[in-house]
Amino acid sequence: MSSLIAENLTYSYSSKIKPALSNVSLELEPGTLTALVGPNGAGKSTLLNLLQGNCKPDQGEITIGGKPLFNNRFQVALMPQRGKLNWNFPITVEGLVSLGRVNHSKSTCCELEAALQRVGISHLAKRRLDALSGGQQQRALLAKTLMNQAKIFLLDEPCSAFDPPAKEDFLLIIRQLADSGLTIFVSSHDWGASLNSYDKVVVLDKIILASGNPQEVQAKLSSINYLRWKL
Amino acid sequence: MSYINTNWWIVPLLMTSFTGVLCPAMGTVLITHKRLLQVNLISHCVLPGLALALALGMDPSIGGVISGLVGAIAAEGLTNKKNQNYEAVMNTILAGSMGFGVLLIPLLGIRIDLEAVLFGDLLTANFSDLLRTLIAFSAFICLLFFGYDKLVHIGLDPEGAASSGVNVSFLNLALGFTTALVIVSSMSAVGIILVIALLSTPTLLGLQKASSLWIAIARSSIFGLVLSLVGFSLAIVLNLPPGPLISVLCVLTLIFLPKNT
Repeated sequence: MSSLIAENLTYSYSSKIKPALSNVSLELEPGTLTALVGPNGAGKSTLLNLLQGNCKPDQGEITIGGKPLFNNRFQVALMPQRGKLNWNFPITVEGLVSLGRVNHSKSTCCELEAALQRVGISHLAKRRLDALSGGQQQRALLAKTLMNQAKIFLLDEPCSAFDPPAKEDFLLIIRQLADSGLTIFVSSHDWGASLNSYDKVVVLDKIILASGNPQEVQAKLSSINYLRWKL
Repeated sequence: MSYINTNWWIVPLLMTSFTGVLCPAMGTVLITHKRLLQVNLISHCVLPGLALALALGMDPSIGGVISGLVGAIAAEGLTNKKNQNYEAVMNTILAGSMGFGVLLIPLLGIRIDLEAVLFGDLLTANFSDLLRTLIAFSAFICLLFFGYDKLVHIGLDPEGAASSGVNVSFLNLALGFTTALVIVSSMSAVGIILVIALLSTPTLLGLQKASSLWIAIARSSIFGLVLSLVGFSLAIVLNLPPGPLISVLCVLTLIFLPKNT
């Protein structure tokens, strides 16, 4: 499996405003669980959209295994923020999950069952989406994303609707996914003990402020007094 | 055909049945896509096209579909270009189009039974009205047959659908076109103003606990059919216009709507 490498990414929504991202470089290695943290407006969602190929950077390039992202988009899947979905749509959990393959080949029952089992909601397959709790909905959305058969998964604030126990459960699930060899990159507002569950933490505030294992990053940000003002 | 000619009620009854099934089915797709406001816009934008088509000696329904669609595209385009509130832009175009249509009637020197266009005149429906409804019905079936999965994906997660390769703009255009066809075809049954009742009310009932879009469409269509047939029968018995009567029945149906938990 190949690493995703982003080099010197710069992106602006308009030429009249400051760039949303400047000179952002990072590497996502296979089988790792990486957190992307930063305050509101730091450019986390923008970075995830660039890494998925939904938009093109003004400068810089993204490669997977040395090949441009453009030719390898199928290897990357993005799980959107929960606010982007219409949760009142008449559909069951299995209906939602099977949409993960809508423009690719048709999913088999085994694949569907496997995706539901990986996130621990196979018993909810026939349940309507709006009858689930926020945490169950997020798991269903993750199962849909897993149906993509990508190797690199970008999760945009997946824990935003969770209470602490549900967050722990979710972190356990994505840890298992990373241990199975998938690359997981998770954007989050979290700061503190929960970051210790990750292999690596990237702190973004339009530029990369720190990157490394959780202890290194927390020490670095404490030394520049960043946490006190921003996070 | 001679049987149809001697039994005046057959075409109106068939129109009632097809409109009663088609409008709620279309309404289910539109409500789940949060596009019901667009129906109002298209229905008001139909009038200028009707007037122009009549003046040019064309089938008025062709003009109606085109102007309805142009209105919807103009509202969406202006909203995106000017970065303005969609609902405000939409209502401005809606009122302007209706006004423009009313002005065109004396300016072009044409005769249109405005009351029939706005509120329907089911009992005078003829074979070409029925044909129009069947064309709209076929267009809707084609939309579902070729694009059901994509419609579900767009309704649920528009950005996700776009990023997985679904042509969202094209499907929205196809949805707008089919909506315009349905509105124009329902003109003789309930009129372009009252059609909104048949598009929304049965859908509210059909969507209750439906586990898929298919089921919601089927249920809404059954409710719509029952409402339309009851309205049609009552209109004959009470000697009242069927379009407004069906709309009033739709309002009464809201009483039976369960509380959304």
